[in-house]
Amino acid sequence: MSDKFSRRDFLKLAGVGAATTAVLTGCGPASRYVKREPYLQMPEYNYNGLSTFYATTCRECAAGCGLVVRTMQGRALKTEGNANNPLNLGKTCARGQATLHGLYNPNRVRGPIKHSRGDRLYETAADPFNDDFNDSEANMNWDDATQAVADVLKKYQPGEIAFLLGMAPDHLFDLVADLASATGINAPVRFGALSMFESRATLSQAAENLFGESGLPFFDVGGAQAVFSFGANFLETWLSPVSYTRGYAGLRQALTKMRGTLVQFESRMSSTAGKADEWLPIRPGTEAMVALAIGRLVSEKRGGTIPRAFADVEPADAAAASGIALETLEHLAETFASSGAPLAIPGGAALGQSNGLAVAEAVLALNALADNFGKPGGVFFSALAPNQASYQRPASAREMQEFVQKMADGKIKALFVHGVNPAFELPASLDFKNALKNVEQVISFATFPDETAVEADYVFPDHHGLESWGYQRVTTGSAQPVLSGAQPVVSPYYDTRATADVLITAAQLAGGNFASALPFKDEVEFIKSKVSNLMGEADGYFSAPDADTFMAYFQQYGGWWKTSDGRSTPNSAEALNRDLSGAESEFTGAGEFFFIPFVSPTLAEAGANKPWLQELPDPTTTVMWNTWVEMNPATALELGIEDDDVIRITSDAGVLEAPVYRYPAIRPDTIAMPFGQGHTAYGRYAENRGVNPVDLIGQHFNEAGDLAFAGMKVKIEKTGRKQLLSRLESIMGVYGVGLGQE
Amino acid sequence: MIDLKVTEIKMGEEHVGKWGMVIDQDMCTGCQACVAACAMENNITFVGEKDSGYGRSMHWIRIERFWQGEYPEIKMTPNQPMMCQQCGSATCEPVCPAFATVHSQAEQLNLQVYNRCVGTRYCANNCPYQVRSFNWRDYKRPEPLANQFNPDVTVRRRGVMEKCTFCIQRIHKAEDKAKSEGREVVDGEFTTACAQACPATAITFGRVDDPESLVSQLARRHGHGVKHLEELGTLPNVTYFKGG
Amino acid sequence: MIKKLFDWLRQPLGLIAVGIAFLALFSLAAYGIHYTQQAPAQPVQFPHKTHVAFGIQCLYCHPGAARGPAAGIPAESKCWGCHNQIAKTQTSALLAPLKDSVLSGTPLQWVPVAQVPDFVQFNHRAHIAAGQNCENCHGDMSKVTVAENPQIFNMGFCLNCHKKVAGDDHVKLVKLTDCGTCHY
Repeated sequence: MSDKFSRRDFLKLAGVGAATTAVLTGCGPASRYVKREPYLQMPEYNYNGLSTFYATTCRECAAGCGLVVRTMQGRALKTEGNANNPLNLGKTCARGQATLHGLYNPNRVRGPIKHSRGDRLYETAADPFNDDFNDSEANMNWDDATQAVADVLKKYQPGEIAFLLGMAPDHLFDLVADLASATGINAPVRFGALSMFESRATLSQAAENLFGESGLPFFDVGGAQAVFSFGANFLETWLSPVSYTRGYAGLRQALTKMRGTLVQFESRMSSTAGKADEWLPIRPGTEAMVALAIGRLVSEKRGGTIPRAFADVEPADAAAASGIALETLEHLAETFASSGAPLAIPGGAALGQSNGLAVAEAVLALNALADNFGKPGGVFFSALAPNQASYQRPASAREMQEFVQKMADGKIKALFVHGVNPAFELPASLDFKNALKNVEQVISFATFPDETAVEADYVFPDHHGLESWGYQRVTTGSAQPVLSGAQPVVSPYYDTRATADVLITAAQLAGGNFASALPFKDEVEFIKSKVSNLMGEADGYFSAPDADTFMAYFQQYGGWWKTSDGRSTPNSAEALNRDLSGAESEFTGAGEFFFIPFVSPTLAEAGANKPWLQELPDPTTTVMWNTWVEMNPATALELGIEDDDVIRITSDAGVLEAPVYRYPAIRPDTIAMPFGQGHTAYGRYAENRGVNPVDLIGQHFNEAGDLAFAGMKVKIEKTGRKQLLSRLESIMGVYGVGLGQE
Repeated sequence: MIDLKVTEIKMGEEHVGKWGMVIDQDMCTGCQACVAACAMENNITFVGEKDSGYGRSMHWIRIERFWQGEYPEIKMTPNQPMMCQQCGSATCEPVCPAFATVHSQAEQLNLQVYNRCVGTRYCANNCPYQVRSFNWRDYKRPEPLANQFNPDVTVRRRGVMEKCTFCIQRIHKAEDKAKSEGREVVDGEFTTACAQACPATAITFGRVDDPESLVSQLARRHGHGVKHLEELGTLPNVTYFKGG
Repeated sequence: MIKKLFDWLRQPLGLIAVGIAFLALFSLAAYGIHYTQQAPAQPVQFPHKTHVAFGIQCLYCHPGAARGPAAGIPAESKCWGCHNQIAKTQTSALLAPLKDSVLSGTPLQWVPVAQVPDFVQFNHRAHIAAGQNCENCHGDMSKVTVAENPQIFNMGFCLNCHKKVAGDDHVKLVKLTDCGTCHY
């Protein structure tokens, strides 16, 4: 360009040229015309432009809520609650809504893969969307994949083969359990981070100690008038959040009865505590003592002899230890004693301490004092699902520790993993990843490229939940026994295959015991064989004259449930005639801060790869897309820490760095951190985002074998770095300082 | 000459819209199910960590919570789902130079006509509820996420303002269905995505001009409802109950 | 340099050059406009007029129009239902793509000609229910082979008709000219 041809002239000419090009190409056929492919054969019940709805089960957590999915032309568009299902009555949580972002996630495992351990599973040659994939060694077809499973089944002794499954008691668990009992392979282990944070083993152990019967307690929040929750975050992720939220709505329903009270004892204000009428920032570890003290004060008010359970506790001591004033305890006892239907719930961080079992027992004893067992607004044993003889709880953390130890010792030579991501969910101190190195064959059935799949030899992806058949037993949350049914709402998007089908075919190939254990054509036939005995049951939501009609109804209604109450009443006769311990829990670690990890209410254990769940603001802090550390503003001021300052947290098991969120509703001696982020794999929206607080948790358990995840004290120090957190509230100006002003 | 009709606002004037909501803040647990349901129903894009940090996230509905008092006597105010209040006399409407945000006479809603919008953002600046969100970029939704799009709702692109529509596509669908069956729309026949998802049934949607509808009944029974920033004369159609 | 260029253009030769360039651009633009108005290439030269002449109703192949928003392109099983009984289907070169498609199980890729932009939510059902005939918008299909668009579906076209239909009925006029009726 010469000096005389100015930039201005050039721009003029370029502008004319660009406009001409735009006119000629912009209106051209290329941009105007789209191509449409009609169906070769229009599926039944489909019309062009009209939606079709299918009932199925939500697989985002183990609760088993019913869904109705709106589909159009083979695509799933929207999940809605199944109004018939007694568990959720047409409602869903945020994770249920976002399940479509899992189905159409850009980072799914797209076909069977032979994989070298540690390699990435996407944006690499192993990614089937990559052009190199077809030629690569990673590429497998399903025949070879099924043969590989059969080879593993044949190659090892039955005792050397183990299955690690997700928390939900579903058809796959039944199938593997059948396989295990017929062939002698290890019984399948069910595990999930939620069960770890819910301390399910503690709940059922406490019930056994007090009532002589093991089971998962059901707390009828909806019928109660005063709910005393000791750390139970039942409006977030606890047990069956949609059903408990419905119960909460019943508690608050001022239209039909007196508005019920909610009192929450918790060292940080969770979003459940945020809804409470009274939030008591209790000193971690003193929950048992406080529960017993309230029991004692209530029995004193009532007069008569003080039950043995509450005899040893001194309310003044409890007040001093817990940081709750004695007058407050007395007034709470008054509330509890005068309420028509009082209810006490143990849960959350209160159970995840060395004395968690004592907390659960003390709180259940409060219910025994209120004598609310089997009454509206009281405590029940959860209804056992149809075809279920007893409560099958998922593995506790201690059982998982033993399992990992077996792996490390080489006693497990072949491991099949489905529906759970232990490399992410188990505390790093259990060293699952290292133990995995001693397992000769690891086969993952992961739908998503998660951390465990990355460490596997083969990844044989299962369908997404919305593409699968199945059923799931509802363990708690509904009065009726419920078996939620699942059916594919869309055909599989990728070259995936149902794990049940893979196992059935592989068992046939392996022959012998294996073949005779699973004499089924496919998954659907197996499901039919398991549910068709319900068709003649009394009190059914529907009945059918033959198995095929029953299966059709089963799909149409999204499962089968009874119309009668299936809950049972715990035997509380001896519950108060025991010595209960009110001792404070012991904390490990040398730091000065109590450390409370909690499950992110929006992400939970497996939501991090769904972009809209990442963009949902946390209900209490409104932070999106990252991990934060909650710290009381007074503490932060004392330490010279501001919002978004990265601090280093050191426990006896590990070190983490995360930015501070000054949270006004947490004890000054406590810091808290959400669980759900910190993935090193699991797709583009999850990977390298935030940190995982389980890295800080050591191998400490309570007496029931649950993880003492909140039983630690940690040290903190400043790093001098800042990491800006994205939060919704900055645009609303709560603190007046947003990212834009940094 | 064009006859520009300007609604005259008188304070305390009885205003009855057509569609409205009743929100019980005592029930709302802040669980974000409505936010996710709204995003899935209305093809709302996610913007990523950086842009959401700049306040560019596209939530059509958000749940506000504020703090009262100091530790340990601190309380969280009742969760407050906040979405377009579908004002009877909306402050966003007169400032739009492109007539992209206009009042629907037929449905008594505030419309956002995407194809007219030129992105001046005057409406968002003038909205006292801060419920309008602007597409600052063409946000990426990598394949196959787009398979989930609701075909009944326009996919917006860069430079366009958007906001809650009271799920107008569901209103039209229900009206169309009722008309095809030769009847009126029945109360409770359909509802918005947020109200449908809400596990605590904190949100109720329906006809506010029908005294027998559930929203009208709830409004009467509670009796102490609040319309936010009513004093500005915006005539909002969402009634809040603090409860407790 | 640009000055030299302008000087040269003022010469007679330059003027001729400018004229030629202008003509070239003009004809290119004219061709461009002509090109955009062409019916797109369809996989099968589907003769609408033949089918209409046999007395087949529009709604037989496009039943969606009476039920919901989209008229839809018929599934190939519907085409095949008649065509596999017609001997000519087996021999005609024009029908070969259909035969191949059905036998190989790969759907035909049609190019829809009557389209509205993404930001318009059009509902066929309401129009059929209001007594509109297909040809009011889509033209007389008994005269065309491959479907053509007799008019551009712009907002003026829609509103003219909406206003005419509403007439003096104010409530109807409000409903039919409301932005929210089509745009959301």
